[in-house]
Amino acid sequence: MSSVAHPQRTGASNDARLRKRYAAERRFHFAGLFAVGLSALFLVFLLSNMAWKGLGGFTHYEAAMPIDFARSDLMLDPATLKGPDASEVVAGADVEGLLSKSAGAAFGPDAAEMFGAAAQRSVGRQLIRDPGLLGRRAKLWLPVGSKVDVAAKQGGDGAIQQLVHQLRAKNALRRTVNIDFLTESDATDPSAVGIWGALKGTFLTIMVTMLLAFPIGVLSAVYLEEFARRNRWTDAIEVSINNLAAVPSIIFGLLGLAVFLNFMDLPRSAPLVGGLTLALMTMPVIVIAGRNAITSVPPSIRDAALGVGASKMQVVFHHVLPLALPGILTGTIIGMARALGETAPLLMIGMRAFIAAPPSGLTNPATVLPVQIFLWSDEVDRGFVEKTSAAIIVLLLFMLLMNGLAIYLRNRFEQRW
Amino acid sequence: MKEKMPLNATTPMPMPSAAIAAEATRAGPSTTEANDLPPEPQVALPDEGPAPTPEPEPGRTPKMRAQGVSVFYGDKQALKDVSIDIHEDRVTAFIGPSGCGKSTFLRTLNRMNDTIPSAKVTGHIELDGEDINSADMDVVQLRARVGMVFQKPNPFPKSIFENVAYGPRIHGLGNSKAELEQIVEKSLKRAGLWEEVKDRLGESGISLSGGQQQRLCIARAIAVDPEVILMDEPCSALDPIATAKIEELIHELRGRYAIAIVTHNMQQAARVSQRTAFFHLGEMIESGKTSEIFTNPTQKRTQDYITGRYG
Amino acid sequence: MSLTIALAAVLAIAAIAGWLGFARASRLRGTTRLHSLPVYHAAYAAMWAALPALLFLALWSPVQSRFVDQSVLASPEGRVLPTFEMQRQSILSEAREIASGQRDAGFNPESTTLVPRFAEAENRFATIGGGIAILFALAGAVFSLRRSAPGFRARTGVERWVMALLVAASLIATLTTLGILLSLMFESLRFFKLVPVTEFVFGTQWSPQMALRADQAGSSGAFGSIPLFWGTVFIGAIIAMIVAIPLGLMSAIYLTQYAHPRVRSWMKPILEILAGIPTVVYGYFAALTVAPHVRDFGIAIGVSSASSESALAAGLVMGIMIIPFISSMADDSIAAVPQAMRDGSLAMGATKSETIRKVVLPAALPGVVGGVLLAVSRAIGETMIVVMAAGLAANMTANPFASVTTVTTQIVQLLTGDQEFDSAKTLAAFALGLALFLITLVLNLIALTVVRRYREAYE
Repeated sequence: MSSVAHPQRTGASNDARLRKRYAAERRFHFAGLFAVGLSALFLVFLLSNMAWKGLGGFTHYEAAMPIDFARSDLMLDPATLKGPDASEVVAGADVEGLLSKSAGAAFGPDAAEMFGAAAQRSVGRQLIRDPGLLGRRAKLWLPVGSKVDVAAKQGGDGAIQQLVHQLRAKNALRRTVNIDFLTESDATDPSAVGIWGALKGTFLTIMVTMLLAFPIGVLSAVYLEEFARRNRWTDAIEVSINNLAAVPSIIFGLLGLAVFLNFMDLPRSAPLVGGLTLALMTMPVIVIAGRNAITSVPPSIRDAALGVGASKMQVVFHHVLPLALPGILTGTIIGMARALGETAPLLMIGMRAFIAAPPSGLTNPATVLPVQIFLWSDEVDRGFVEKTSAAIIVLLLFMLLMNGLAIYLRNRFEQRW
Repeated sequence: MKEKMPLNATTPMPMPSAAIAAEATRAGPSTTEANDLPPEPQVALPDEGPAPTPEPEPGRTPKMRAQGVSVFYGDKQALKDVSIDIHEDRVTAFIGPSGCGKSTFLRTLNRMNDTIPSAKVTGHIELDGEDINSADMDVVQLRARVGMVFQKPNPFPKSIFENVAYGPRIHGLGNSKAELEQIVEKSLKRAGLWEEVKDRLGESGISLSGGQQQRLCIARAIAVDPEVILMDEPCSALDPIATAKIEELIHELRGRYAIAIVTHNMQQAARVSQRTAFFHLGEMIESGKTSEIFTNPTQKRTQDYITGRYG
Repeated sequence: MSLTIALAAVLAIAAIAGWLGFARASRLRGTTRLHSLPVYHAAYAAMWAALPALLFLALWSPVQSRFVDQSVLASPEGRVLPTFEMQRQSILSEAREIASGQRDAGFNPESTTLVPRFAEAENRFATIGGGIAILFALAGAVFSLRRSAPGFRARTGVERWVMALLVAASLIATLTTLGILLSLMFESLRFFKLVPVTEFVFGTQWSPQMALRADQAGSSGAFGSIPLFWGTVFIGAIIAMIVAIPLGLMSAIYLTQYAHPRVRSWMKPILEILAGIPTVVYGYFAALTVAPHVRDFGIAIGVSSASSESALAAGLVMGIMIIPFISSMADDSIAAVPQAMRDGSLAMGATKSETIRKVVLPAALPGVVGGVLLAVSRAIGETMIVVMAAGLAANMTANPFASVTTVTTQIVQLLTGDQEFDSAKTLAAFALGLALFLITLVLNLIALTVVRRYREAYE
C-alpha cells in the first residue's frame, strides 16, 4: 500500500484544494493580526490624541505687564498686606480694573481683556510677597487670559491674533510651566483652573473606599472560602457577590442616593458618601480576587499547620492569609483603580457641584478628578478643552501607576504552587 | 503540555494473549461496553501471532525511516540520535519506562512536535523516501498520510458522524453527502464500532464509553485513509476489556496500514507487534523482531527491563 | 461632635481593658499553665469592650439625626416653619449646616433662629448616645476581665468574635444586593403611584418634563420607557457588539493560537490598559474626537439628518471599550479547551485555522457566549460614554447617524440639576434604575451559569 493507493492526495485538483486551504489559513491568521493591531492602534490613537490635546495644558503663556501701582486706585495699605487676612484684603481690591487699564494702556484697547482670574491671583500673590510694590511702577509677568492663551498656542482670529503678534514682537510673551494647574482648584475662568481640589477629593474618597472595602472584602472572602458550609445561604451570598461585580456602576449611585443621602441624611457631595458608595462597588471585586487567591494556597499548608495543633482560625490568619496576600492586594489595587476612574455613581450623590476650594474634611463638599473632567468637558469655553485633556493625562497617569503596581506585585510575589 | 495519565491504572495483568481474548469474549456481553458485539469473533490470533511473520528481505524499502533523530525541549534533550525503520504490514511497538522518549519520538513522525513551541527536532525522517521535515513536505498533507491516535481518547464535542466526517471534509475526500456517509460507515466498520453506534450517529462523541471513544478516534484517523497510523499508548486509559478490543482492531488494521504503537505494557507489545524498539532515557537501546527482543535481547538494559528489574 | 468623643472614649476603654487583660493573664501565667496565651486574653477583653459599643454607635448615629430633626421641629421655633415640605427641608438643612460650622449664614432667615435649637438638640442626643456607648464599653470590659482565669478559653472567645466579624462582612455583600433591590423598589413604587406601570413599560413617548402648574398646557410629562430601552440596546447591544465581538474574538484567537509568546506577553497588558481607561475618558474621546467625524461622514454619504450626538459615535467607542473584555473572556474559554482536542484535529492534517474554526471555537462556544452576555450587560449599564456622546432625544430610529438616548443617560439627566424629591421626574430615575438592574441581573445570572457550567465541563 503506497501513495498510489491514495489518488486523492496527488494531482491538480488536490493541489488546488490545498492552495485554497492555505489561503484560508492565511486570511484567518491575518484577520487575527488585524484585530490585535487595530485594538492596539485604538489605544495608541486615544493616548496620543489626549497627549496632543492635553500636554499644552501644563504650560501657559505669561505676558510682561508694566503696572503703575503707585498711581493706581487699589487703595491698599501695605500694612494690612502683612496681616493674616492679606488674601482677603487683596481679593477686595479692584485688581481686575487695574489690569484692564494697564493692559489697555500698554497694548491698545483690544488688550483690555487680555488677563483673567489667573492674572489677578498672580498680582495678589506678588503684592502679598512684596507689599513694597504698591509704592512703585513694576513690570510683572502675568499669565494671560484663556482666549489669548489659546490663540498663542493654536492660533486665533482677528484682534486676538494681532495682540499675540504684538506681544511677541515686543518680546512680552513667554511660555512657562503652569504650576497653578496642579495646585489650584476649579474656577469659572479656564486660565485659573487647577486640579488640586479634585485630587484632594479623590484622595479622601478613595481613602474611605479602601478603608471599608479592603477589610470587609478580605474578611468575607476568608469566611466564604474557609469557613462557610456549602448550603443555600452561602450559595445565595456567592451568587449575589458575583452578580454585584457586574452590576452597572450607576446603580450603586442610585443606592447611595437613596440610602446614604435620603435615608441616612449624610451630607451631599461629601467624600464620605462617595467613598461609601464606591466601597460597595469595589468590595465584590476584592472578594472575588481574595477567594481566588485563597483557593490557590495548597491544602498541604493547612494540613501542616493543623498538624502542629493550630486552630482553624490560626491556620487561616497565620498561614493562608499571608500566603494569599499578594493575590488579594493585586485584586484590591485593580478594584481601587476602577473606583478611581469611576464617575457615574458620584454624579448621583451630587459630587458634580462647582467647588472652588479643596475639601478640608470627609463631610465637606468635594469633587473627584473624573467628575472634574466630566464637568470641564461640558464647558463651552475653548480654554477648557486643553485643561480637560490635561486632567485626563493626570488621571491616566494615576491609573497606569496603579495598574503597573498591580502587575509588579503579581509578578514579584505571586507564587505558583 | 501533555497530560500524564496515571500509569498502570487500568492495564491488564500480564497474561497470555489468548487468555485475554477469551476473557474478553466471556466478559464481553455482560458489560455496557460490548452489548452490540459483532457476531463473528476475532479469533485470528493464532496464525497472526507475533512470531510467524517473516522478517522483510533486507533490500525492501521501509515505509518510514528515521535516522539520527534528536529532540530538544528548550535546553533539555529528550531524545538522542534515534534511528529506526517502520515497515508496511507490520506493527512496530515502542516500549520503555515512562519518560524514556518513546512518545516524543512517535510525535516526530507526523511532526506533532511542531505544536510545542519550545520543541526542536534534528535528524532525518523519511516517508516513502521523502524527507518529512523538508520545505517541500506539507505538514497538513503529512498528517493526512500519517494519522495519530492519542493516549487519552479525544473525540471532538460533536456528533459521532461529524467526528468521523471531519477529516474527509477538510481534506475534500467525500464530495457528496452520500460519499461522506459511505466513508463514515466504512471507517466505523473498520474500527469495529459500526454495530454499536449505527443507530445513534447523531449523538455526541463524548457520550460514548472510554473504549468506544478510543475506537471512534481510530475510526476518525482511518477515515482520511492514512498510510501510517501512530498510536500513543492507546489503551492506557482503558479497562482490560476495551483494551482487548483495541488490540484485536490493531491486528485487523495491520494489513492495510503501517502501524507504530507506543506502549508501556510489555505484554501488549508482545501481543500486537511484529517489531519492537526499546527506549531508555531518551535513547533507543535496541530494536528488532518482537520475538527476539523478548526472548533474546542483546542489550543488558533491555533484558533488565523485560524481566522487570525496573520500569 | 460629642459622638466623636464617645468613640475615642470607647477605644480608650478597649485599650485599657486589653492591657488589663494582658497583665492579669501574664500574672496568672507565672503560677499556673494557661489555656490561652495572654495576648488572647488581651484581645478578648478589648473586643468585648469595643465591639458592642461600636456596633451601638454605628446604629445610633443615623438615628440621632432623625431625633434631632424631630425635636427641632417640635420646638416653638420649629412649629412656625412653613408647612411646604421642600421649603421646610431646605431651612432645616441650612440650620444644620450652620450649627455644625459648615456654613456661615443661611439664605432663609428662619434658619438662623433654629441654630441654637439644633446645637442644643444635637448636644443632648449625642450625650445620650455617647453615654450609652461608654456604658456598653465599660460593661463589656468588666464582664470579660472577670472571666479571666487559668482555664479560661480566651482564644476560643476571641475566635468566636472574629467569626462573627467574618459572617458580618460576608453578609454585607448580600445586604448590598438586597439594599439595591429594596431602595429601587421602594422609590419605584412611589413612581408607579403617579404613573401607571403599563405606561412605563409599554409607552413609546418619553418626555419627563412635568408641568410646574397644574393648569399649564401641553407638558403633562410622558414616561414611556420603550424608546430609552431601544436606544440602550441599539448602542450597547448592537453597534458596540458589532465592533467588539469580531475584534475581541479574533484578538483572543490570535493571541492564544498564533502569537509568539513574547508578542502575547506584550499585547495582553496593552489590551488590559484599554480596559483600564476610565469611561469618562472614553466619553470625552467619543464626544470631542469621534462624534464630529461620524457626523461629517454621515453627511458625506448623504444622511442629511446626521447628528453630532449620533448613536454610531457612542456605540463605536463603547465597542472599543468592550474589546478587551470580550477578548479576555474568549481567551479564558479557548484556553480551557483541552490540548488533546486540538492535537486530535491537527494530527489528521487539519490546518490551524480549520482546527480553530471547526473544533476549538465550537468547543469554546458556551464560554464565549457567556462572555458576550456579560459584555452586553456591561455595555447597557455603561453611563459616561452615552451621557457625554449620545443625545437626549428619545427617538425610535435604527439610523445610526441619528441621535438616540439611553436609560443611563436619562437617569443622570433626571437626577442632576434641580431636584425635587417627590416629583415623578425624579422618581422615574429609580424606576429606570430598577429596570436596568433587573435586566443586567438576568443577563449576569445566565452568563455566570453558562460560564461556570462550561468551566466544569472541561475540568
